[in-house]
Amino acid sequence: MAGLIETMAISASGMGAQSERLRHVSENVANADTPGYRRKTIAFETAVKDGESTGKVQTGPVNLDPGVLERVFDPSHPLADDTGHYDGSNVDLVLELADAREAQRSYEANLKLFDQARQMSSRVLELLRR
Amino acid sequence: MFETLELMRLADAMARHASDRQAVIARNVANADTPGYRSRDLPDFSEIYAAPAPDELRTTRRGHLSEAPGERLQAQSFDAPGATSPNGNTVSLEVEMVRAADVRQEHELALGVYSASLDMLRSALGRR
Repeated sequence: MAGLIETMAISASGMGAQSERLRHVSENVANADTPGYRRKTIAFETAVKDGESTGKVQTGPVNLDPGVLERVFDPSHPLADDTGHYDGSNVDLVLELADAREAQRSYEANLKLFDQARQMSSRVLELLRR
Repeated sequence: MFETLELMRLADAMARHASDRQAVIARNVANADTPGYRSRDLPDFSEIYAAPAPDELRTTRRGHLSEAPGERLQAQSFDAPGATSPNGNTVSLEVEMVRAADVRQEHELALGVYSASLDMLRSALGRR
C-alpha cells in the first residue's frame, strides 16, 4: 500500500509540473504580439529532500529565451525607430504548440498511472470488505 | 494446511513487488521531461523469487531468529534505459506504459491468489 500512496504523490507532482509548463506556454502564446517580449521557458528537475532524491519532479527557475527579437516594420507604431522598425517578441507559435502538445501527452501519462495506482489500492481494500 | 499460509506470504510479496514497481514507473513517467534523468526498473518477481537466498542462518529451534520471509524478496532498482533524448533523458513513455500494464496484471494475480487462499482457509474452518 505504501508504494501505491507514494506512486500517487509522484504522479501528482508530475501533473503539477506539466500544468505549470502549460501555464508558461499559454503566457508565451498570449504575449506573441507584445513588443520586446521574450519567451519564458522552465526546466524540470528531480525534487531533493534532506539530500535524497524523492523521485518527485518540480519546476526550476524561469528562464528567458535569449534568441533575437523579431524586427517588425510598422512606421506608424509608437515604438518605431528611424528606419520604421520596432522589436517584436521572439515567440514562435509553432514551437509553443508543439510544447503544449508534449505537456499534454506527459500529463495524460501521469494521470493514467495515478488512476492505475488508485484502482490497485481499491482492489486491496476490496479484500477487507468480503 | 500451512502451505496455504506460505502461499499467502508469496502472494503478499508479489503484491508488494507490484506496488514497488509501480512507484518506480511513476517516478520515471513523472520525470519523463527532466533533463539528464535516467530511467529505472525493478527485476521481475520471478527472478527475485528464483534467486538463491544469501547465506541464511539455519533455524533449528523455536527460539532461533530468522529473517522475515518478505525481507529476502526486496528488489534493488537498476538502470533500464529506453531511447535517449538530446537532453540525456532515457525515459520512453511507451515502454513505461507496457511496464505499467505488466504491473497491473501481476497485482491482480497476486490479489486473486490471496483471496482464493483466504477462501480456502475459511472453508477449512467451516465458515462460509
